[in-house]
Amino acid sequence: MKPPMKRKRTFQRRKVCVFCADSGMKIDYKDVKTLNHFVTERGKILPRRISGNCAKHQRDITQAIKKARNISLLAFSVFGS
Amino acid sequence: MRRYETIFIANPDLSEEDQNALQEKVRSIVASFKGEFVKLEDWGLRKLSYPIRKNSRGRYFLVDYLAEAPALVRELERTLRLNDGVLKFLTVKTSARVTSEQILALKAASLAAKTLPLEERPAAPEPTPAPVEAAKTEAGGEEK
Repeated sequence: MKPPMKRKRTFQRRKVCVFCADSGMKIDYKDVKTLNHFVTERGKILPRRISGNCAKHQRDITQAIKKARNISLLAFSVFGS
Repeated sequence: MRRYETIFIANPDLSEEDQNALQEKVRSIVASFKGEFVKLEDWGLRKLSYPIRKNSRGRYFLVDYLAEAPALVRELERTLRLNDGVLKFLTVKTSARVTSEQILALKAASLAAKTLPLEERPAAPEPTPAPVEAAKTEAGGEEK
């Protein structure tokens, strides 16, 4: 029998949603520079647990990224190089 | 009235005349449907994130306008779809209700923008959707 695994997770500070913290920031699908913070190198949308967004803003970001992809401002997928 | 913006990507191989004709056409459609034209931005040639009809670059145009009836949007999208020089387009409603005072403010702002050089353009007064420039300057400040 294996002894119960000891949880050795380093505690990380709970991130605060950037858009909540700074109300001046707007989510816009045309603003590629901001959206780029929320996608991986491969172009996938970063999960909330990593980006630290609140549910509302994550939703907005997701919508914005999808719009930007549609009009080719962002890539659907980035192939390795 | 509702405020919409349409981005369309023109084929970069189009001649300057065709580009202008395209812009003119967009303007005339907005006018003929009693829409309120706010602005047409030319973003110039940009690299596309993925090839569209074998083009790796495209010329982006952003049309900002107000419309009373969705017929305007339908007609605009129809013409863009029929035009071979347009690679892709996307229409987004930016504001569901714009009052007549806001329209006047918008008009004043666009007039001021015409007389002022691009850099010194003041932020548009109060219209509900924030100007694009404001959002753009406040990028950054976040890491993954």
